[in-house]
Amino acid sequence: MTHHLDESVAEPAPPFEPVEPVRIGDPGRAFDAVKPKLDQRFPDVPAYVVDADQVHDDRGGTGLALRAASVRGLSHRFYGTVRQDAYARMLSEDGRYLVACVADGVSACEYSHLAAEIVTRAGCQNLVEQLAAVPPEKLDWLLVLEKLVSRTVSAAQGIAHRNGDVPLGTDPREAGRYLASTALFAVIDLETGDDGEHTAHVVTLGDTSAWLLTPAADVAWTPLQHVKNSDSVVASSATAAIPVVPAVAPEAVIARFGPGSALVLMTDGVGDALGNGTGEVGAFLSRCWATPPTPLNFAAQVDFARRSYDDDRTALAVWPSAGS
Amino acid sequence: MPEERAKILPFYLVIDVSWSMDGEQLQTANNIMPELSDALAKDPILTDKIRFALIDFAGDAQVRLPLCDVLDPDVVLPGLACRGATSYAAAFRLLRKEIEANVTQLKADGFSVHRPAVFFLTDGVPTDTEDEWTSAFRELTEYDRQAGVGFAMYPNVIPFGVKDADPQVLRRLVHPSTGAKQSRMYLMNEGNNPAQAIAGMAEIMVSSVLSSGANLAGGDSGLIHPDPADLPSGITAANADGDFL
Repeated sequence: MTHHLDESVAEPAPPFEPVEPVRIGDPGRAFDAVKPKLDQRFPDVPAYVVDADQVHDDRGGTGLALRAASVRGLSHRFYGTVRQDAYARMLSEDGRYLVACVADGVSACEYSHLAAEIVTRAGCQNLVEQLAAVPPEKLDWLLVLEKLVSRTVSAAQGIAHRNGDVPLGTDPREAGRYLASTALFAVIDLETGDDGEHTAHVVTLGDTSAWLLTPAADVAWTPLQHVKNSDSVVASSATAAIPVVPAVAPEAVIARFGPGSALVLMTDGVGDALGNGTGEVGAFLSRCWATPPTPLNFAAQVDFARRSYDDDRTALAVWPSAGS
Repeated sequence: MPEERAKILPFYLVIDVSWSMDGEQLQTANNIMPELSDALAKDPILTDKIRFALIDFAGDAQVRLPLCDVLDPDVVLPGLACRGATSYAAAFRLLRKEIEANVTQLKADGFSVHRPAVFFLTDGVPTDTEDEWTSAFRELTEYDRQAGVGFAMYPNVIPFGVKDADPQVLRRLVHPSTGAKQSRMYLMNEGNNPAQAIAGMAEIMVSSVLSSGANLAGGDSGLIHPDPADLPSGITAANADGDFL
């Protein structure tokens, strides 16, 4: 074999800024010590899901930049169990509304990742079906929950059957031993009002939370629901979850946001660390999310390391943007 | 609450060091803290949020290890030595003082603190008057949520009794005694070896700490008790009614 000297000058490799894990304060021992383990039971559930979309109303000029990431928490990586958070997003048939959902499967139940999938997918689907006939303020939220309870109970019955367990009845509490999930829905109008603001109808069940982020404001993070543990002496983490839900229609919170702000939906893996938004985590995410980051950066930001915050994390954010 | 610096689940290990504990029993009790520490060292998820304090009591009560991260390289696990008398009241009063000071400080430092748990290990009956120990226990555990009266930071209490500990006294220390999060007590079966029973109880404590910590990660803050079927031999679990489980 002969070697020839190559006379041409090699093109330099393009520079690459690696997306590195970010530590906020003390990252804890787990951040360095945990080596992720596979969950042999559920080989098709990815540990990381990342999305970026540009959505806009075909009839108007404005639109929304969307970023979403769902990340398996350190705890599930260490114990070898699947990510149990999920999100979904969908446009209404007429293209006017963006429907988004974020859900947190209850980790005490083995199949909760399926509950989170049912809640996000079937939830968005049902809202889109309803939006074909009624505007957001007329949505029947109790109907959405009923559909999701019924789908979750069916899924539990199927699991019990496949496992050879005692056949399940229709009691949601029985089904809730197999799978359960919180839910957060937002229906966002892509058409803006005269003030240039989008209107969002937000419904929360359990401790999954929605926030308005206005990085330039004195108070950057405004919660659209009660902040967990903000008025209790010791923390508690009890939470409502599908399929065991109250028989009353949940109340929709109406939020408006325009350029310079974002609507952020998150599971408590992010929300607990955010607290009331005035700490280090709030400052970090507010700076990072002043404008839509690249999708991989968004995922890395959601995946920040902070001592004892080892739950699955999911965030879905939308920023008003000039459309095409 | 400016921010959530970290979640913390505090445990208080309270050990009777009256003279009757002297010998093999005390040696075994001295091993509890190292065993808990070794178990935590294997689980980085739990070590990030569990903190331990060690209090001993006889005629008085003393903080032998202030609430800390037991894997912190600066922490030296203390050895226990016996003293006279068995004052439950002294232990309960010191517990209340410590819990209040620790939780207040941690919250001021921005931590999210979950309800503390107390492992109370004794081999005898209180030498205080009944009025004395019961009123000290009420001050530690009573809280009226509606009225906001009492001790809001009240702990979950899990009594462990060996040798001459009176089940009728210990069952009154099971807290909460009712409800979804009701606690339990663990008793040495009569005629058993107390040192062996303490070793078995250390296993129960380790198992409860590990599963409670894992559960906290999963979004529940209740204290987890081992399945009664899985208890080490010679130990029985019972509820506040004295019913064996």
